[in-house]
Amino acid sequence: MGSEIIVIPAIFIALPWIIFHYITQWKRAGSLTSEDENLLDELHELSRRLDDRLCTIERIMTAENPNWRSVACDPASIGIADESVRRIG
Amino acid sequence: MSPPRRTKFYLDKHNAKWSGVCAGIADYTGIDVTVVRIGTVAAVLLGSGTPILIYLAAAWLAPRKPIELYEQRPEDTKFWQGVRANPKRTTRDVRSRFRELDRRLADVETYVTSSNGRLSREIENLR
Repeated sequence: MGSEIIVIPAIFIALPWIIFHYITQWKRAGSLTSEDENLLDELHELSRRLDDRLCTIERIMTAENPNWRSVACDPASIGIADESVRRIG
Repeated sequence: MSPPRRTKFYLDKHNAKWSGVCAGIADYTGIDVTVVRIGTVAAVLLGSGTPILIYLAAAWLAPRKPIELYEQRPEDTKFWQGVRANPKRTTRDVRSRFRELDRRLADVETYVTSSNGRLSREIENLR
C-alpha cells in the first residue's frame, strides 16, 4: 500500500513531465529555420576553408622565416624592420 | 530539391538493430548507441508498456535518414549534433572561430607589412 503512493504519481506525473520537458526542448532546438540551418552550414564550411588557407600561409611563412611570429609581435627587436626602414628612408 | 534538414530526427537504418530508432537517437544526440539501447531496454522493463508504444510510434512516424547525410564527414556529424543540442552555443563557437582567424590573419599582416624585405625592395625599385 505504501509503495503505491510513490509509484503511481511517479508514472502519471513525473514521467509525462519529463517527456513534455524534452518535447519542448526539442521544439526550441527545432525553431532553427531552414535558412538558419543553411547559413550555419555555409559559415561552418567557410571557417573550415579559411582555416585551411591560413594554415598553408603560416606554414609557408614559417619555412621562409621560422621566427616570423616574434617579428610580427615586435618588429624592431629583430632588426629586420629597422633595415628595411633604413633602405626606404 | 532542397538539401535534407539536419536538425530533424531520422531512423538510422544503416546502423539499425531492428528498426533504427535507437541508432537514430544515438545519431541525433551523439550518445553512444549501446547506452541508448540499454536505456531503452531498461525503460521497457520498468515502464509498463508505454516505452514500447513510444518506440513503435517513433519507428512508424519518423522518416528514414536521407542518403546524403550518411556521406558527411565525422566532424560535420559532431558539429550538427552540437547544433541540435544547443544552436546558440554552436553559433557562438563559429563566431569565436572567425575571431581566431581574424587574429591569426592580423599577425600575418603585421609581419608582411612591417618586415618584408621583398616588399621594401619593390618599393626601392620604384624610386
